[in-house]
Amino acid sequence: MGADMSMFRRLVVLLVVLGGSGRGWAGDRPTYERDVRPIFKAYCFGCHGAGEKLEGGLDLRLRRFAVRGGESGTAIEPGAPSTSFLLQRIREGEMPPGEKKVPPNLVESIERWIATGATTLRQEPESLPPGIEITPEERAFWAFQPIRRLAPPFFGASDRVRTPIDGFLLARLRERGLSFAPEADRTTLIRRASADLTGLPPSREEMEAFLADDSPDAYEQMVDRLLASPRYGERWARHWLDVAGYADSDGNGNDDTTRPYAYKYRDYVIRAINRDMPLDRFLIEQMAGDELVPRPWKNLSAEQVEILAATGFLRTAVDGTSTGASDEALAANQVVADTLQIVGSTFLGLTVGCARCHDHRYDPIPQSDYYRLRAIFEPALDPQHWRRPVQRLVSLATDADRARSAQIETEAQRLQKVLDEKTQKLVAAALEKELKKFPEGPRERLRQALRTPPDRRPAEQKALLDANPSVLISPGTLYQYDPAAAEELKKDSAAIAARRAQKPIEDFVSVLDEGAGALPVTHVLHRGDHRQPTRAVAPGDLTIAAPEGSRFEIPNDDPSLPTSGRRLAYARHLTSGHHPLVGRVLANRIWLHHFGRGLVETPGDLGALGRRPSHPELLDWLADELVRRGWSLKQMHRLIMTSTVYRQSSRRDPARGDTDIGESLYARFPIRRFDAESLRDRMLAVSGRLDRQMFGPPVPVSEDDVGHVLPTGRPTRRSIYLQVRRSRPVSFLDAFDSPMMTVNCEQRTLSTSAPQALMLMNGDFVRDQAGAMADRVIALVPGGPEESRWPRWIAQSWDLAYGRSISAKERELARSFVSRQLAALGPNGKPGETHRAVLTNLCQQLLSSNEFLYVD
Amino acid sequence: MWTDHSREINRRMLLRGSGFGIGAFALAHLLRQDGLVAAEPTKPGENLPLDLRPRPPLLAPKATAMISMFMHGGPSHVDLLDPKPELTRHHGTEYGGEVVYSFVNRASKKLLGSPWKFTKHGASGIELSELLPGIAGIADDICVIRSMHTGHNGHEVSIRYFHGGIPAITGRPTLGSWVVYALGSESQELPAYMVLTDPGGPPVDGANNWSSGFMPPLYQGTVLRPKEPRILNLDPPPQLRGDLQAQNLAFLGHLNQLHLDRHPGEADLEARIRSYELAAAMQTAAKEALDVSGEPQYIRRMYGLDEDHTREYGTRCLIARRLVERGVRFVQLFLGGQPWDNHNSIKSGLPDICRRTDRPAAALVKDLKQRGLLETTLVHWGGEIGRLPVSEGKLDDSAGRDHNGQGFSIWMAGGGIRGGMTFGATDEVGHKAVDHVVTPNDFQATVLHLLGLDHERLAYHANGRAQRLTDGRPARIVREILEAPSVA
Repeated sequence: MGADMSMFRRLVVLLVVLGGSGRGWAGDRPTYERDVRPIFKAYCFGCHGAGEKLEGGLDLRLRRFAVRGGESGTAIEPGAPSTSFLLQRIREGEMPPGEKKVPPNLVESIERWIATGATTLRQEPESLPPGIEITPEERAFWAFQPIRRLAPPFFGASDRVRTPIDGFLLARLRERGLSFAPEADRTTLIRRASADLTGLPPSREEMEAFLADDSPDAYEQMVDRLLASPRYGERWARHWLDVAGYADSDGNGNDDTTRPYAYKYRDYVIRAINRDMPLDRFLIEQMAGDELVPRPWKNLSAEQVEILAATGFLRTAVDGTSTGASDEALAANQVVADTLQIVGSTFLGLTVGCARCHDHRYDPIPQSDYYRLRAIFEPALDPQHWRRPVQRLVSLATDADRARSAQIETEAQRLQKVLDEKTQKLVAAALEKELKKFPEGPRERLRQALRTPPDRRPAEQKALLDANPSVLISPGTLYQYDPAAAEELKKDSAAIAARRAQKPIEDFVSVLDEGAGALPVTHVLHRGDHRQPTRAVAPGDLTIAAPEGSRFEIPNDDPSLPTSGRRLAYARHLTSGHHPLVGRVLANRIWLHHFGRGLVETPGDLGALGRRPSHPELLDWLADELVRRGWSLKQMHRLIMTSTVYRQSSRRDPARGDTDIGESLYARFPIRRFDAESLRDRMLAVSGRLDRQMFGPPVPVSEDDVGHVLPTGRPTRRSIYLQVRRSRPVSFLDAFDSPMMTVNCEQRTLSTSAPQALMLMNGDFVRDQAGAMADRVIALVPGGPEESRWPRWIAQSWDLAYGRSISAKERELARSFVSRQLAALGPNGKPGETHRAVLTNLCQQLLSSNEFLYVD
Repeated sequence: MWTDHSREINRRMLLRGSGFGIGAFALAHLLRQDGLVAAEPTKPGENLPLDLRPRPPLLAPKATAMISMFMHGGPSHVDLLDPKPELTRHHGTEYGGEVVYSFVNRASKKLLGSPWKFTKHGASGIELSELLPGIAGIADDICVIRSMHTGHNGHEVSIRYFHGGIPAITGRPTLGSWVVYALGSESQELPAYMVLTDPGGPPVDGANNWSSGFMPPLYQGTVLRPKEPRILNLDPPPQLRGDLQAQNLAFLGHLNQLHLDRHPGEADLEARIRSYELAAAMQTAAKEALDVSGEPQYIRRMYGLDEDHTREYGTRCLIARRLVERGVRFVQLFLGGQPWDNHNSIKSGLPDICRRTDRPAAALVKDLKQRGLLETTLVHWGGEIGRLPVSEGKLDDSAGRDHNGQGFSIWMAGGGIRGGMTFGATDEVGHKAVDHVVTPNDFQATVLHLLGLDHERLAYHANGRAQRLTDGRPARIVREILEAPSVA
């Protein structure tokens, strides 16, 4: 099915890329390093080079080794493909064994290389240390180069270049004879900026203030106002939580145990972003917050709790051990692997997980590098001494809290004692009264029987009491004898319970921290199997992320810290400003969330199989600028949003030769559907029902009779506060592509499907919001008979939904819709209800329309 | 205009998207210019087009659709499909072989002979247990594979092996995902890969059973709810019945058209407009497909809709047939929890689950056959493991059987499978597959082959490499169970 073909093409791309500038591979004499080694690496090194053991004694890592051959003799004979044993074995399908064969075109490349003398680019060494070394060709790959800040191309004022960003982009557009689209109108701009920064439509006041502001920096001020809004943190936290893989449940099979304290990490992210915490600090706290807070963790300040909560970043992965797994070691190792995958895609932009079982087939990440990374995290995520989620909770009770609890308890017990005595007295009084009903003789016998402990009562006493049950009065039956006394006791009892309820509730924060005891030794695991450890490795960064010979190594244990200090050292290294991957990955993500597409279109993979940057110079410039601007995310927003490219219209203009190429070069602003959370939040905002309360435990979700998963309690809070139960995604959000957090989400898909249409046509949520919006419209336009209010109702609906006034054509359309609906509903029913029903239908269509679903 | 489902629109419709409740169904997406999307990947390392347009397979297919009745828990092959007279003869004696137990606390080595009789059925004379009278009636249409082997006794490990191709590993696309990725959908109005769940709850391993793994959610199984309404939001709310919804949609269409006029050439906006048309069509089509009330009485009786213990599973089997009839590519039925996991009191537990499923499963094959659909519909019945020949617990009515991934049975029918045969064998007590061992990877290779696909070539690029269902593991097409090529 073309799979081999695409594999071939993929490799060809690799070969071309590795070939360096200006040299196509087809025309030149092929060389080992450029043309053949990548093929061998993908197909042969697994048995013939990578491992400690060489199958058949054959090592293919150097031309020299290949000529020397193995147990079967020489593998290649330079100049003589027909007698080269290796080529024969490949052609006959003997090698590689298994189903994965070298595609014919690549076999031809090998053949041509042999036929042309099997040359190398460089003189080869006599020998190599074990493992696959990283070649100069691999080192030359763009993402591993130091970040280079080039001067932006220069343009004059008439070129509408406002920022260096525009210079970089315009230079590329000019190469194609293109230029920027005209500036978008103001309504569009504030809609776009609000959507980007807050995920909500601008309010009428915000809209009017901006449209009326004719100062030269009105736009910049509008952006600043949005950046200062608390809604901004809620919006951008969502992006971060996607890649962090945030969820409020463990994902352990059908149990899917909730994580009641996970929300503190979510709140941490929102606060940090709203405060514009520098991203380097943000990263360090998430990777190593526990190493920043001195122990013992008692009487923690709010700030310290926040820093501990930041480590929730490393606790987002599915944890199959939470309620016990059938194979805990396997499940624990999976948690470590998933966490590394999240770290890899979030900060490194590489698929490091591919090197878990063997050297990465495409990127220069040897298997040992994967375990070097793992060693950074293993003191805290140690499968040998595994701690389940509940064992990672840190109590937030302070000494004062505990003292207060004890004090309340003492007091409650004192009150209880008083109450017990009072109860006894009242019961005794009631009994006395009851006994009075008996004649003296029996009364005394009864009294005696009651005084005798039940287990010592002789038979006649038992019989006597059985015959006269009315004297068996207990606190529980007192109400039948003395209702007033019983009521009084009940009140006293309630008072004691109320007092106890005043004890401070013990709160917890979920923390990733190192266990007590000796530091674990991390081993390379044969084929990633935790039961097959091989050699030990020390913590460190990827080899490829530093110049040759200067790999960042981390000491096993930092003597100045009570912890190993590994994660802290690594986080500081990542944020040193010199890491080739971190800056590019972050800058790319910021760009992605403004334009819907990264400068590298695979934000989680900047490696060989990812896409190449469309504007590498701009990406590097932004990465460098981020550091220069003190890692300020808000400054990056300002920079990007005040550029001409961001302020362009989204309209296609065939007259300008507007093509898809133009779109990929940013010759206009892209049109995008809102993501799931924005859609829901926007509908709530327009209906007037949005509950703006921030922070705190998530809004629980549950499944209704029909199978919709819905928020309960305060169901109209922003989507970011809804519980993310992995097994129970909120139906509306799920339909619009909110991610399933099996691991994390590097990039949303924005699909268009009939179930979405059904949700908008028939779903309760949309119907409810349309109804609320209709009520709001009616309230905004009061007075007069319904018929006369329709024109204003219609105009008001447009205003609310789209933030603009209605056009003449639309007014005509709406008017005829309303009259048809009124006719269809007929004269039956209360007129007010009929009009509201029609207005609800009208509002529902506006909320379901493309103008509402898309930002332009 | 909203119910007018014009041919032109269908032809140009690309299918993509996600999201029917938990699953993702994916109806029509995206209109691009015809010809822009080639049937083969056009860029390096790219996949087949990520849509659901029907695509011809590489090879001439025998089957164009598949229905799988997945039997979670490990049906006891020695009591159902694999007669073992030696086991009966040695009932109560100590087993000499090595056994791996999952539940050691009640483990024993006492052989437990089947309490049920086996007799020959059909012209082919396949021996089947008295617990399966329905399936006995289709003996000449089925091929019983008696040498299945996963090598793992655990449920999840083997379930994931069957669905995803590698034991124990999650995060991989399931068989149905691969099939619809490769072949697309024949229906423009129904999801391509549908899952029918049980009112008793989700199967063990939940949504992993129909996950699309590293493929987009487009290829996830769309879960039909076990009770009405089987699809959410399919019905207009009561206030919108009749003309009102049609008026709403017409009005919405006009609004969207005006918007599109201001944004000409935006494919996604056009696709959204089409998605409403499709949704409107689906309100009728899916409803019709899922409504079995119009089925004639004899069909309803055949599937057991007239009896309490078969009604539920029978209804789902009948729906499965109706779906395949309407172009759905892959249908899988699940049971709640794992009813075949008879650790205790197998004597009473096993007949119960057989009674629920036997007649409906047989009816499905018969019904497909009488409609001429069996030739092109591959039917599968089987669990992830089997059960041990030795007793779990005492040899009395409380006796059960522990897990056994070393040897067990499944059956297949239709779609190019030779009927009336058994294949492979376990040892004399039914513990280990010894003759012509068939692994889940062999099963997958065979299924793909019958659908015209090559398990070595069908690839999806993800996580940095070309991924395959069988993932380069040893896998062979079990040619012995295929129909002989017809003589031209």
